[in-house]
Amino acid sequence: MIGYSYKFWGKRRGSGSWRARGKTLAVAIVAVSLLGSSGGEPSDERIFPAPELGKFRNPRPYPSRPLPPDEEARLLDPPPIDDEYFPCDDCHEGEPADPRERELEEHDNIKISHGDLWCLDCHQDDQRDLLHLSDHSPVQMAESWRVCTRCHAKRIPDWRAGVHGKRVGNWIGAKEYFTCVVCHDPHAPLFKPLTPKPPPQPVKGLKLRTLIRLEEVPYEED
Amino acid sequence: MDFLKFIRFSVKQIVFGSSTYYMWLAILLAFVLVGVSGYQQQLAHGHIVSNMRDPVPWGMFIGTYAFLVGVAAAAMALAVPGYVYHWKPIKEIVVLGEIIAICAVVMCILFVMADLGRPERFWHLLPVVGTPNLPTSMIGMNVMILNGYLVLNIVIVTYFLYCAFVGKPYNKFIFMSLMLFSIPAAISIHTTTAFIFNVLPSRPYWNSAILVPRFIASALCAGPALMVIAFQILRKTANINIREEALQKIAEMISIVLFVNLLLFFAEVITEFRSATAHTVHMQYYFRGIEGHVSLVSWAWTGALFNIIAFFLLLTPHLRQNTFLMNLGCVLVFVGVFIEKGIGLVLPGFTPGTLGEVYEYVPSLAEVMIGIGIAAVGILLFTVLSRVAIPLTFSEPYESGDDTRFENPRAVIREI
Amino acid sequence: MKKIDKNTTACASHSRRKFLKAAGAGAAALTGVPAAANAKIDFEALFQKHFRELSPEELDRLIERLEKKYSKRSGKEVKLGVTGPMDDVLFGYGLDVSRCIGCRRCVYACVEENNQSRSPEIHWIRVLEFERTDVLRRIDFEDGNPFYDHEKVPAEGKFYLPVACQQCENPECVKACPTQATWQEPDGIIVMDYDWCIGCRYCMAACPYGARHFNWTEPQIPAEEINPNMHILGNRPREHGVVEKCTWCIQRTRQGRYTACVEACPVGARKFGNLLDPDSEIRYLMENKRTFVLKAELDTRPKFFYFYGD
Repeated sequence: MIGYSYKFWGKRRGSGSWRARGKTLAVAIVAVSLLGSSGGEPSDERIFPAPELGKFRNPRPYPSRPLPPDEEARLLDPPPIDDEYFPCDDCHEGEPADPRERELEEHDNIKISHGDLWCLDCHQDDQRDLLHLSDHSPVQMAESWRVCTRCHAKRIPDWRAGVHGKRVGNWIGAKEYFTCVVCHDPHAPLFKPLTPKPPPQPVKGLKLRTLIRLEEVPYEED
Repeated sequence: MDFLKFIRFSVKQIVFGSSTYYMWLAILLAFVLVGVSGYQQQLAHGHIVSNMRDPVPWGMFIGTYAFLVGVAAAAMALAVPGYVYHWKPIKEIVVLGEIIAICAVVMCILFVMADLGRPERFWHLLPVVGTPNLPTSMIGMNVMILNGYLVLNIVIVTYFLYCAFVGKPYNKFIFMSLMLFSIPAAISIHTTTAFIFNVLPSRPYWNSAILVPRFIASALCAGPALMVIAFQILRKTANINIREEALQKIAEMISIVLFVNLLLFFAEVITEFRSATAHTVHMQYYFRGIEGHVSLVSWAWTGALFNIIAFFLLLTPHLRQNTFLMNLGCVLVFVGVFIEKGIGLVLPGFTPGTLGEVYEYVPSLAEVMIGIGIAAVGILLFTVLSRVAIPLTFSEPYESGDDTRFENPRAVIREI
Repeated sequence: MKKIDKNTTACASHSRRKFLKAAGAGAAALTGVPAAANAKIDFEALFQKHFRELSPEELDRLIERLEKKYSKRSGKEVKLGVTGPMDDVLFGYGLDVSRCIGCRRCVYACVEENNQSRSPEIHWIRVLEFERTDVLRRIDFEDGNPFYDHEKVPAEGKFYLPVACQQCENPECVKACPTQATWQEPDGIIVMDYDWCIGCRYCMAACPYGARHFNWTEPQIPAEEINPNMHILGNRPREHGVVEKCTWCIQRTRQGRYTACVEACPVGARKFGNLLDPDSEIRYLMENKRTFVLKAELDTRPKFFYFYGD
């Protein structure tokens, strides 16, 4: 596959078809005339020659546009924590932490299913509104992904590059990054199964008389 | 002005006739109307009235088209013995063969028009006014060459009949060059039709170089077989003299080409099934069915069996000399090749589809109606064209030894 | 977004235009169509030129006509864009096979974004389900099932492979089209001129990925569901008898946005970006992950790369 990629980069649009060869001449003529008029600009290696245009001298009635500058990705805020529990200091203010693993009286809605972790492995023991790193330096809830890196450091390069996790917005320009906890419940990070959307209609029964009149049956929303 | 007279003669030949002739025309027109009503449904609702769907985007129309291009190409089967080897009994009937070719090409064009989702945009295919994608699109090539072949045949037939009408010898150079040019043209229409299918890497069932010779071989079976039958019908109805030895020669030729066709077919089957790669699935679907989808299996074996029986009937001289067995052989070849090309070429290529979906296509009523209509148009066209051609070429019973008749056809102007 | 370069010379062939006008007049005379206003509009549509042969003025008129038509049909103010490609952009797509759970969110996001026919149903994305443990059989497309209907996905022992247009660099469909109604844009997207397609369906026969879909009858979309952000080469409503295909949401991506399927994917398996930008997501995954393309043996050179994120 890697070999394939090299070929891909090295020989963009260099299809060896004999049709292409004929057109290369036309492109060359156009290119020479363009150079003559513009005085010749410094060539950038990343700029590929214009694609072959076939019989069309006026290939498309719009001009090409320069690439807009890319912007920093913004991190999407994690989902808000339930008012009933947050801020934690409302209950835990000044209370000494009990580090033992045990059946909790409160928080019975939380089932920890995250390796061998226990609450205080991530939550700061003296300041419950915060999380902590390995050296117990505090981390804000909004930056929870920094806590995740303690164990999942290998994911970070992929995530920064946008390959692990999800981004929305613009492929070039402003975009929003989903942080870890947007998709993964920190207490049970394994992805929950989803109900799939309906399957496509089998082609077999598709007949004129089976078509639905859509004015009567509105298309089903999610 | 002679040409105007020729036109008037032709129109008169077509318009006036016996009551049997009128009856025949009425029957054909009724079938044409069936086709028109089918097409009207398709115009009103789109191609959803057909049973073609995304997994099988081509069906009966394109299958029949591929078959009929073969029939059209088969005019060559008469031109070669007639004008390359100057064998008289065949030379007499070459023009009738060309007329069959004209009818077949017209039917091809009608089938393509019926298949187009947007027939009113057909002009996009034409050079100058449209933007044909030449030469990479094989449909583009095929459209150009097929229309060229149609024009060529119309010119040949018109020129020949016109010369016969005015009673002067045709210009041997012009006529012979047109006639000889029609031979490679016939091969090329069928070659480009095969290219439509076999250049697609996405359809392994077609993507085989052997498809091209197979197309030509099967064309040279089905077309002449149709001619043998049609000539005998003409001999009965129009009372003309087509020599038995000509028919025998055609039948013998069919058997030889049929052998080549069967050999190529056999080679394809062995290659596919012995190598048994993932691509064999299409051939498997055609001959064995996959996972209970067996709608083509009986067709496949029937087609193969018909071709094999016909081969022996037409090959063995004393069987062939029996008119009934010869006719049976020709019918079997015709049907066998129709199954092989019309059904066994297009449908298994699409089943299973590129993403593995099995959709078993059976033509819908509307499609069959349109097909019947187009067939009726073809037969109608053949009827009226032979009404013009027969009195000009077969004006009097043939006398043996009269070599000059075709170089110097006599005028046959009846009272106009 | 409609910007037309006034410097580009129109190369309309005058002889051709004359011919068409004459043909139009002739047809009108033959069929006895009165020279009414609506008849004139019909002829304008009938003898419309190929998109790439339109002069800027003709394109202006066409956009105006189509915007009016689509606005009337949907009851919304339709914006029909003709945004051109950006310099130095070649789009690429990545799909993480190890993440996809087969939930089909992308399929329906695509349908809504791209104004696909609701009835008869047209889906540009097809999600195939495969058996994980089918070790004794070859895994081929014939073994994939697009019609799975489980309570929850991912189902036990299955994996999923969504397939849509692969936007090949060596596109079979473009080579096949007899009228040049489909072509590759400089940014790599294969687009269609829906007004030029004759509906011969040769591209559907040629496409190795089942990515092209035919409008077997007039497509139906409820007016209120029409997406008014359109592109002339992309998601504008199609008519019966023409082929359509995925354009990587050309109406969004040419404005810098992600495609609808990327934004819909709940597991973030879908990646999109500029192959010519060394810092893009798509380049990162090609350089750091194991990627493959479908049916590589056909040398269609897809720009749709499947990869293993883990």
